[in-house]
Amino acid sequence: MKNRLKVLRAERDWNQQDLADALGVSRQSVNAIETGKYDPSLPLAFRIADLFALPIEAIFLRD
Amino acid sequence: MTSWNKLAPYMQRYTIRVLLFMASYMLILTSSLAFARGGTEHAQATLIGLALISALPIIGVFWAIFRLLVEIDDEYQRLLFAKQTLLATAFTLVTVTVWQFLAVYDVVTSGPEWMGAIWFAMLGVAGPFARWKA
Repeated sequence: MKNRLKVLRAERDWNQQDLADALGVSRQSVNAIETGKYDPSLPLAFRIADLFALPIEAIFLRD
Repeated sequence: MTSWNKLAPYMQRYTIRVLLFMASYMLILTSSLAFARGGTEHAQATLIGLALISALPIIGVFWAIFRLLVEIDDEYQRLLFAKQTLLATAFTLVTVTVWQFLAVYDVVTSGPEWMGAIWFAMLGVAGPFARWKA
């Protein structure tokens, strides 16, 4: 699944570690989600959406 | 202490548990072997008891490993560790199956032994494979 996480993160001038700390996950996890190697669970997707104050479908896109 | 503080709490708990179980294993095994081989005859029940006591810390390490799978609160890390344990199990099964048939064809004198130790070793071997390009 594609996502806009890298762009949204860059807009806020956050690095991967900043985002990982905000989500309570490892930097490796953020990297895996950003690069599409791993699709997050719904609870984590909602946490990401809450953090960016956006609906899930504005962050995660259908292939 | 800095690197210790950087460890996730679930990894700190896992490390403490494994260290405690391994320390008790060393203590129990050395004292049990010294007692069992002390020169006097022991009842079968005593030897069974010593075997069970010696196995307990190793069972504890297995518990610590599988407890880690439950306690990892980072879902991607949990996925990687689950992959690692499954790969370790697969590598162990391959090893003991080949070893078993080597014993069947009299290439080696005894069949698979110390499977727990093999699994621990394979858990280490499986780590890089599970985390390859992760």
